[in-house]
Amino acid sequence: MTGRDHTRVSTQLGPLLEVNGVSKRFAGIQALGGDDGLSFQIDRGSFVGLIGPNGAGKSTLFNLLTGVLPADAGTIVFEGNDITADSSHQRAEHGIGRTFQTPRTFESLTVLDNVVVGATSPGERLRAALGRKWRLHEAGLVERARDILGQVGLADRASEPVGDLSGGELRMLGVARQLIRRPSLLLLDEPTAGVHPLLQDRLADLLTGLHRQGMTLVVVEHNLHFLLAIAEHILVLTQGRLLAEGPPSHIRGDPAVISAYLGEDHAA
Amino acid sequence: MNWPQLLITVATIGSIFGVVTLALNLQYARGGMINFGIVAYFAVGAYTYAIITQPPPKGLDQYAFGLDWPWWAGFLLAGVAALGFAALTGWPTLRLRGEYLALTTFAFAEVFHSFLLNERRIGNGTVGLSNVHRPFGDWGPVEEKYVFAGAAALLLIATLAAFRQLLASPYGRALDAIRDDEVAAQSSGKPSADMRRQVFLISAVPVGLAGAVYAMFTTLAQPSLFTAEVTFVVWIALVLGGERSVYGAMLGAFGLVFFEEVVRALPFETVRSAQIAASVEHIITGVLFIAVLRYQPFDRIQRKVRAST
Repeated sequence: MTGRDHTRVSTQLGPLLEVNGVSKRFAGIQALGGDDGLSFQIDRGSFVGLIGPNGAGKSTLFNLLTGVLPADAGTIVFEGNDITADSSHQRAEHGIGRTFQTPRTFESLTVLDNVVVGATSPGERLRAALGRKWRLHEAGLVERARDILGQVGLADRASEPVGDLSGGELRMLGVARQLIRRPSLLLLDEPTAGVHPLLQDRLADLLTGLHRQGMTLVVVEHNLHFLLAIAEHILVLTQGRLLAEGPPSHIRGDPAVISAYLGEDHAA
Repeated sequence: MNWPQLLITVATIGSIFGVVTLALNLQYARGGMINFGIVAYFAVGAYTYAIITQPPPKGLDQYAFGLDWPWWAGFLLAGVAALGFAALTGWPTLRLRGEYLALTTFAFAEVFHSFLLNERRIGNGTVGLSNVHRPFGDWGPVEEKYVFAGAAALLLIATLAAFRQLLASPYGRALDAIRDDEVAAQSSGKPSADMRRQVFLISAVPVGLAGAVYAMFTTLAQPSLFTAEVTFVVWIALVLGGERSVYGAMLGAFGLVFFEEVVRALPFETVRSAQIAASVEHIITGVLFIAVLRYQPFDRIQRKVRAST
């Protein structure tokens, strides 16, 4: 995407992420990118919605961007550096955060530790772990994690086992674990699925707030009502290809998008 | 039955195997790695200690190396050798997961056992290295056997303290996260491959040191002492004691060694009854193992404790 919403200063700072000709096949079947691969840009400070029917390649794209899967072709450039060959944890260290379509948690840890572990603590280095200095940072991390849990509505669940949370709460926990990392690019995969409407409103406020603070967001969502109300730019994927892009108002009336979602009859 | 002697043997052997069980606990329960070849690292420690401390070959000796260095050099180098062996075997195997890693580590240990059996210049083949240097004599009024038990217990306590410190730190928390969900941990910036390798390497060091103490205690480094049975005994000890805690791992090791030593110390009237007792020992160990797996008493206790707090 290119920054077309000129009302935001932050979107005029140039691309944060450049995807050039990226493609992926599964068992010989093209899952993402056509003959030339998929290409787009995400501007720094933008709030992008990524939509498309099931199987369009949205989660696959997230997996390629975060290094969970290797791309078959193409390059991914983040903050001016080619990260195509970087591993998943390196990309997280560069500042790319993500949540998953199916919430992924650390079952043996409490809700609080599920958030704290999202940060990179000095005590995670072997030599430091055998010393005591990491304790100085721990209190600050725990305080930050509690604050973030409050933001996502899980403050009173901090000491519970993560298995006690509902599906919607697990999604919020996944968001919280990324927020403690303070990523410069946050990729959220269906953050409202199974989330109580009241929590959805809180999530919308949270994401809008993060956007205002300058975080770049890309949100995959089937809840178009939710997404079109908060995103400033929409990318539409279908069958692994970029079908359309533009501001929400433009996408709402695009016949090609309506056709992809609802069929030819509705587009007419 | 000579109970004082039996208890001191249990303290010594239990401490030695307790160290190996702790290492397995770190690798498996926290690192998520199934190592079915842990006996090899134990053997590396024992043989290294023997080679470093034994005198150079003479007369009919078939081994080629004997450095005649002091015991502490042999002890420390046993840890270094186990670390080196872990680096060597970990490099190709740690990309594997679950049962594939289990099978590969088992295969490595079997190859190493076969090497020890057949290579005379290093370990003197099937005969092994006897007359291993026993460094501790009587310590004033304290008899040698007590000194040994104390030394083995000291190694166990040091290993326990180091592992506890490590696991109670953010490093341990990150390890738990990697074991629970590696993909999610990576996307939170955890270098899972590096951390798994580190755990594999550092847990091999005390196993090598325990191997050295075992060689001192038995004054022998012989292939028959380092068969796959050792690996499975340690695994059973881990499961019996409960893999979730370091204390459970230790208790499992002591419990199993105590049980084996009691059966061994029973006075038998006939050879036949001794044979039956040996068989019964294996059967009871097996039944205990199945019962623990079936009823998971330690997990239940842990759940109860958690629910009550």
